[in-house]
Amino acid sequence: MNASLRNWLLLAVALGLAALYLFPLYWMYVTSLKTGSEVFATPPGFVPRDAQWDNFPYVWSVRDMGSYIWNSLIIASGTTFLTAALGTGCAYVLARYRNMWIDIGLFLILMLQVLPASLMITPIFVGFSQFGLLETPRLAVILALTAKTMPFFVVLVRATFMSVPSELEEAALVDGNSRIGAFFAIALPLARNGILVSAILIFMQAFGEYVYSKSIIQSPALQPASVGLNAFMGPNTNEWNNIMAYASIYVTPILAAFVLLQRRIVAGLTSGALK
Amino acid sequence: MMKFKSLAGSVALSGVSVLALAGAAEAQTTITIWSLDDENQPALNLAQEFSDMDNGITVEYREIQFDDVVSESMRAFATGQAPDIIAVDNPEHALFASRGAFLDITDMVAESDVIDPDNYFPGPLASVTWDGKLYGLPKATNTIALYYNKDMFEAAGLDPEDPPATWDELVEAARTLTDPDNNVYGLAFSAKASEEGTFQFLPWAQMAGGGYDNLNAPGVVEALEIWETILDERLASPDSLTRGQWDSTGTFNSGNAAMAISGPWEINRMLEEAQFDWGVTLLPVPEEGAERSSAMGDFNWAIFSTTEHPEEAFQAIEYFASQDDRLFPEFGQLPARSDIEIPETGEPLKDAALEVFLEQLQYAKPRGPHPEWPQISRAIQDAIQATLTGQMTAQAALDQAQATVDGVLE
Amino acid sequence: MNRVISSFRDGKGFDIALVGAALLFLGIFAGLPLVYNVVMSFQAVDMFSLGTFARPFVGFDNYIAVFSEPIFWPVMRNTVVFVVASIGGQFVIGFGLALFFTLKFPGSTYLRGLFLVSWVMPGLVVGAIWNWILAGDFGVLNFALTGLGIIEDNIFWRSDTAFSLWAVIIANIWLGTSFNMILLSVGLASIPRDLYEAAALDGANGWQRFWTITLPMMRATIGAVISLGLIFTLQQFDLFAAITSGGPANSSNVAQYWAWDFSFRQYDFAKGATISVLMIALVMVASVIYVRSTRHEVRG
Repeated sequence: MNASLRNWLLLAVALGLAALYLFPLYWMYVTSLKTGSEVFATPPGFVPRDAQWDNFPYVWSVRDMGSYIWNSLIIASGTTFLTAALGTGCAYVLARYRNMWIDIGLFLILMLQVLPASLMITPIFVGFSQFGLLETPRLAVILALTAKTMPFFVVLVRATFMSVPSELEEAALVDGNSRIGAFFAIALPLARNGILVSAILIFMQAFGEYVYSKSIIQSPALQPASVGLNAFMGPNTNEWNNIMAYASIYVTPILAAFVLLQRRIVAGLTSGALK
Repeated sequence: MMKFKSLAGSVALSGVSVLALAGAAEAQTTITIWSLDDENQPALNLAQEFSDMDNGITVEYREIQFDDVVSESMRAFATGQAPDIIAVDNPEHALFASRGAFLDITDMVAESDVIDPDNYFPGPLASVTWDGKLYGLPKATNTIALYYNKDMFEAAGLDPEDPPATWDELVEAARTLTDPDNNVYGLAFSAKASEEGTFQFLPWAQMAGGGYDNLNAPGVVEALEIWETILDERLASPDSLTRGQWDSTGTFNSGNAAMAISGPWEINRMLEEAQFDWGVTLLPVPEEGAERSSAMGDFNWAIFSTTEHPEEAFQAIEYFASQDDRLFPEFGQLPARSDIEIPETGEPLKDAALEVFLEQLQYAKPRGPHPEWPQISRAIQDAIQATLTGQMTAQAALDQAQATVDGVLE
Repeated sequence: MNRVISSFRDGKGFDIALVGAALLFLGIFAGLPLVYNVVMSFQAVDMFSLGTFARPFVGFDNYIAVFSEPIFWPVMRNTVVFVVASIGGQFVIGFGLALFFTLKFPGSTYLRGLFLVSWVMPGLVVGAIWNWILAGDFGVLNFALTGLGIIEDNIFWRSDTAFSLWAVIIANIWLGTSFNMILLSVGLASIPRDLYEAAALDGANGWQRFWTITLPMMRATIGAVISLGLIFTLQQFDLFAAITSGGPANSSNVAQYWAWDFSFRQYDFAKGATISVLMIALVMVASVIYVRSTRHEVRG
């Protein structure tokens, strides 16, 4: 009885905290259903006066969102794949050696990304144009974005590998496996959950990125949804309700996937898979 | 019409491949156009029409955000990736023209049957001119005036047919109309630290006998002090400091401000959303009989000097110019030309507003032209913000701005 | 013996290949752009000479010019306040939530997952939403605070020089809390239960257990979280652009926004690059101090 009362209390507190924290998300949905000037009404309306459901199909067709979202998926998948392919091995090695120099090296890797994308884009653009990478703009964005997300991935996945006991690997080596064999047969499967979860986090980051895409991808047919969104957030063309309708369409699928996957993500992260 | 517009919009947005299909003839020339216009605005639609014409030219159109126009095109130009045609904000035209980034089209215009420079208003024409040569063509023009809520005027005992005409009257009216209990401010405007703040302040400075090159004239100081009064007495929202014109006017439309200073680009939205009777009047002047002035806004067309298809690009611009008479009826924008009679729309509020804006336009002055305009503008914004946040007096802030501008101009 | 050596060699080659591939990639796509910035900070850069390296060198002129800007010190101060307050806020709230969710109750894992929402939303959208929440007249935050009787008059978060920086900090804390919480949850889950049980047998109370077990066991996680927080905070740009644009009167201007403002609003790329180099230098100094302090800890 006492325990269940405690549970209910905690649940109530947790729900309250979640409601508070999720408010910006709620606000996005509410605004997407308002009329243009209702957005600026005082006092603010917590429920739209007359829900404008038309905003959604309107934005979808006028803004040709299908192609944009497809490009977002390509870019986010490519970035996730490349980050995982390059970052996993690096994280594994960095987890095998533990000393101060590795820590410093790791920190330096992190610091390579200390500048905001808006400052990195000029040198990246100039460099890419020299090597003709702008001819394949989506690939170019994937490359630039991978460099941006990799440090984060390496830090997370390194922690995962540190939880894989090195004795297991040594045993495999004694059994005649090569290092490569031991890596693929022992370390990788044991760290699978952590890698998967980190990759999902990277995917979500890449899905929302827009600074690199905006500058590197000049053809609208190849741009991701974030750039499509950015294009109509200018000073004279910002219809906030439509912008938020766009944002809702754009975010909701990931959000839905996330809510479905999140038990696994959170469980994977906290049940010892990632230490 | 509606159907066509949305169709054109979606086709153009989906980009090259579809456009290329539209004119799948042999020996197609492709030109790229960058502009900030979306499906409700002229450039995208006109570019689409031009591309669809049977002239062997296909257009690749890229919609680009206001804030990104210069940085994107500059970067592209520096690396040889510039588009053929760009729509650039008029104060930034000289930045490119003075450096040879834009194509000198003086001779092409001289031979053109479509374009005659004499038909253009002098202000917009000055903004595309550098060193006596034409480096582009005005795309449209606009300026700012005072919108006011006639219902609120009536309720507050003011005459809705006699809106404020001088600065003092404006402040007085704002005081009368401000009603904090009902969340109503007297005035909505923008003092944002961006080009918008400069655009809103320069008319005041010019009416008082100053200008971007004469910022600490007594009249300019007085103007800035009036802005300070407006904010100190909460006659306008403190958020005017960080809010652009469009957002500020949004509060006017929703009935949270009784007057608003903004441009003709607001008209269509206001017709749709404002649930009250409104009017437009000329910007108030320092005192009765004083010289009128206003800021000239909107974009210019230009061809990059790196283009491989100067003829085709010019052909596109000729087409755009030939369609200038559609700008207002279809898109609510004002052509920068004196030879175009704008027809009545049949919408009384819109026609009345148009009349005021056309008169105001006669007093519109270009910003610059000067290749270092962004730095001049920045100095003006800094002075506005320092004064309105109480960090400096208007006099001190404008003295500092003038010193900075002198440094740029020398 | 031979076999051990050869496999060690073999192993080392394998390790170097793995690390090398990643480092080479990062060197090209992240390192070179940084070098470009450093070079640019010593040159006279013209907006149309961006595409070339051949530009006149001007020594430390750009640095002198940046240092003598009247807003240099205010901007640096703002940057430090922003970084410290953001990381502090994200960490404290994130840690609090992580600890809260270690209390098992029905739906706890499910609810914890929802907190990752701020990670999923694109920066653009987050900026726009906070822009309204913080608006003075019709903003929801003011509406809530006045409704609860906490404040009497609206606070103009974005436009009052006393609050503008804090407006961005609040939004940034919201944004960063989720990854702090998740990473710290992971760290908490990895502490062996029996440690706590042993401590409980020794009669340690909850507070003592937190200080003697939880915190020391979490050192590596906390270090990682704070370093990541430092980068995410210094990288934060969208929120400034969306909420205050560094204003009013530069009261919320920070180094990363200032650098962008120089480069893309005033087209003074050299000064923009100079500020970014200063930012990197600042982080280097901070990291050296950090590394030294941890070394002392280990030895002492």
